[in-house]
Amino acid sequence: MSNNYYEFTYIINPVLDEDKFAAVVDKVNKLIEKHGGTVDEVEEWGLRKFAYDIDKKGNGFYVNMYFNAPVETIAKVEKTLRIDDDVLRFLTLKYDAKMLRHRELQKKNAVPEVFPVEVEEEEANSKKKED
Amino acid sequence: MINNPSHPKKSIRKVKQCKFTKAGLEYIDYKDVDTLQRFTNDQGKILPRRVTGTSAKHQRQLNRAIKRARFLSMMPYVAENLR
Repeated sequence: MSNNYYEFTYIINPVLDEDKFAAVVDKVNKLIEKHGGTVDEVEEWGLRKFAYDIDKKGNGFYVNMYFNAPVETIAKVEKTLRIDDDVLRFLTLKYDAKMLRHRELQKKNAVPEVFPVEVEEEEANSKKKED
Repeated sequence: MINNPSHPKKSIRKVKQCKFTKAGLEYIDYKDVDTLQRFTNDQGKILPRRVTGTSAKHQRQLNRAIKRARFLSMMPYVAENLR
């Protein structure tokens, strides 16, 4: 049985109380561990505004986490969370070699910047004006 | 015109370069919304390769990343002002 590395992001219903968020996070962690996974890292992004409404809600509590688990775990966890009203939406990603290398960089805080300096754009804009 | 390097019609065309290849990025993360937003127009549409100069390999990854971000409502499918 092969263990894979997964990234899991989910959105908790914002209607819940502040202290309930932690309970839901705990619940999800326990759920994964119950089905044979080991949680690597949990990062709470907190309440964020949505780009569009989900279930008539304008914001939600984002949680991003990483875990190791066998393949069967995912289906079981997703099945449970689909029924759960506390979790609005979730996204599971299985990490391949490329993504794992990216994750290593992320841990070292060494992800290369795509747009290193803001100056470049300003230059381009000023050039357009000259034209 | 042929011998005059400063002729307006002879101006050097700016060579577009893939931003991701230049940065040496291997995987485009859907969490990096600020970067992804640069590759969409004001309507929230994904810009074509011919506009941004992204390499085919990275454009595919970019599309995937943007669509993941949209699913999690971190980026709009359609911009607010058009709905």
